[in-house]
Amino acid sequence: MTAAAATLSLPAPAWRRGDMTAMLALPAMGYMLVVFAVPLALLLWSSMRGEAGFSLAGYARILGDDYYRQVIWNSLSLGLITTAGCAILGYPAAFAIARARGYWQVVLFALVFLPLTVSIIVKTFGWAIMLRRDGLVNFALLGLGLADRPQRMLFTPESLYAGMINVFLPFMILPCYSVVRMLDPRLTEAAATLGASAWHAFSRVTFPLSLPGLVAGIGIVFSLSCAAYVTPSLLIGERYMTMSQVMAKAYLNLRDWQLGSAMAAILLAVAVLVVLATSWLQRRLARRGGSSS
Amino acid sequence: MMRLAEASAATGAALAVRGVWKRFGATQVLENLSLDVAGGEFVSLLGPSGCGKTTLLRLIAGLAHADGGAIVVGGREVTRLPAHRRNIGVVFQNYALFPHLNVFGNVAFGLHAQGIRDDVKARVMQALALVRMGDFAERPTGALSGGQQQRVAVARAIAVRPSLLLLDEPFSALDRKLRETMQVELKQLLRQLGITAIFVTHDQEEALVMSDRVAVMNAGRIEQLDTPQALYAHPASLYVVDFIGQSARLSGTVRGTDGDWMVVDTALGTLRAARRFVPGSRVVATIRPEAIHLGAAPAGANAFTAAVAEMMFLGARTVLHCVVEGAADDDRLMVELARLPDPAPHAGAPVTLWFRPEDVAVFPHP
Repeated sequence: MTAAAATLSLPAPAWRRGDMTAMLALPAMGYMLVVFAVPLALLLWSSMRGEAGFSLAGYARILGDDYYRQVIWNSLSLGLITTAGCAILGYPAAFAIARARGYWQVVLFALVFLPLTVSIIVKTFGWAIMLRRDGLVNFALLGLGLADRPQRMLFTPESLYAGMINVFLPFMILPCYSVVRMLDPRLTEAAATLGASAWHAFSRVTFPLSLPGLVAGIGIVFSLSCAAYVTPSLLIGERYMTMSQVMAKAYLNLRDWQLGSAMAAILLAVAVLVVLATSWLQRRLARRGGSSS
Repeated sequence: MMRLAEASAATGAALAVRGVWKRFGATQVLENLSLDVAGGEFVSLLGPSGCGKTTLLRLIAGLAHADGGAIVVGGREVTRLPAHRRNIGVVFQNYALFPHLNVFGNVAFGLHAQGIRDDVKARVMQALALVRMGDFAERPTGALSGGQQQRVAVARAIAVRPSLLLLDEPFSALDRKLRETMQVELKQLLRQLGITAIFVTHDQEEALVMSDRVAVMNAGRIEQLDTPQALYAHPASLYVVDFIGQSARLSGTVRGTDGDWMVVDTALGTLRAARRFVPGSRVVATIRPEAIHLGAAPAGANAFTAAVAEMMFLGARTVLHCVVEGAADDDRLMVELARLPDPAPHAGAPVTLWFRPEDVAVFPHP
């Protein structure tokens, strides 16, 4: 009896114990293998292929060229500015939604979600119509006497930033909201009864505890906005070339597969770095409270 | 307001609540409520949920603000001060420990918030030592048991040396055995430190065990504020009788007087009680189960012949359910005996029950 129990208690591999839960992921993994992993491998392969077999010439062309280095920097700085703008506008908005009651919460949620249901192309065309020479903004500026002739706004970096923030703001608000919503209001009350001013309570309790949401939002918005294609090409086009636009041009116009796939690999590397950095930060944040302060 | 503050400073009251009102929408939560607490005193606010006890606690802490009236703490009027300038410690029901800080960080939080830089470590360790959590300073709060979290919450609140400590049902999340240990521990600690404490609970036993005085609350008012002994012996209303301990309730009508006593007709027959109502009044007479005795009645006692319906042995005491002769079967009298007579009565046996007229508390019929 004891011997049998001891044998049974030996840890067996999951599949031996009849625990097949992991198998539930098989269909999704098979699908992702075909539509994602295989094309990705082909893309990486083609980025490292020259006329005479293996070659890193594609990468050398990009990293050794001022123009393409500028393109990479354009994408990264567009990502940084969009992310910063979304964080500044979205973080307080997440609190407003989380703390709103009843009817107001529904209204605020609708304001965040409705833009998501409108295609990016439609939204971007809307921006283009509003910002063009005879658009609404110029009409208002002239009418109010703030400008004596129409201002050029479309095809400027400023209009691009404004449009990008508009498109990606919900992706900042939603992760922040989901964390802020779970914060126990009694923690702020406890801080107050201990003598903490509203600012001290926010900076030492609320803000640190909301960081996981902010980090997630920053990761999502930065990766998406670095890789954005539609909004930059419609709002600014060739004046502000990003990695996605160079890729599209390389594939569609130049038929330069080596250039396109090498640029894609670099963009992918940026995305992988962002994912690794955010998950490392998230794990550090989750382990807080264990270390001495 | 100034006069009020001076008055309470002169009497040495640690807390004076004066005619406080609070309304949430159309609901009157607190109604012209007043309460005085002396320095070092432990006062419980006891009542069912919705009676306003937690609202009163939040008003005192400054986490909510009164619609009218004044709150004076240690001679200083705080009615309109925000919570962080009141120096009133609170132990919350769920403890509300900061999850991103360890035990030390939690206890040090108040000292840092108040700009205290000197001796922080010594003061934190001293507070943790008082609740016997000195060895846990570097632990994350998530790894603590409920009782340990409660101790940390107390240490965090007392580390800033508050002028008043408020406790909002701090034991409700603990199991019964641990709760009893923690009650004794907390009571000893607060007495040792001389901290004035207001304790919110819906558990009458807890209130009686812990408190110097108990305020029984009902619908936004204090029904009675007294020592546990006085509340039990001299309840001021039927509500307090029902809330503290158990009692038999007998509806009846005052028939007349008999010397110093009045005679009340009830479903069990007539009984005598202290004279308080004019003949014809509809009243409710209440008798504590331990005031009812078995055996030959002395002269002048209320005596009934009854049959034992149920007998329940509870270790230190025995509870009998008796049906009085001539009364309906469900009109039972509960009798609590510390010691069973010899021979012990058995179910169905006829017994004589008696209680003294002065042990009958009579209230107007609601």
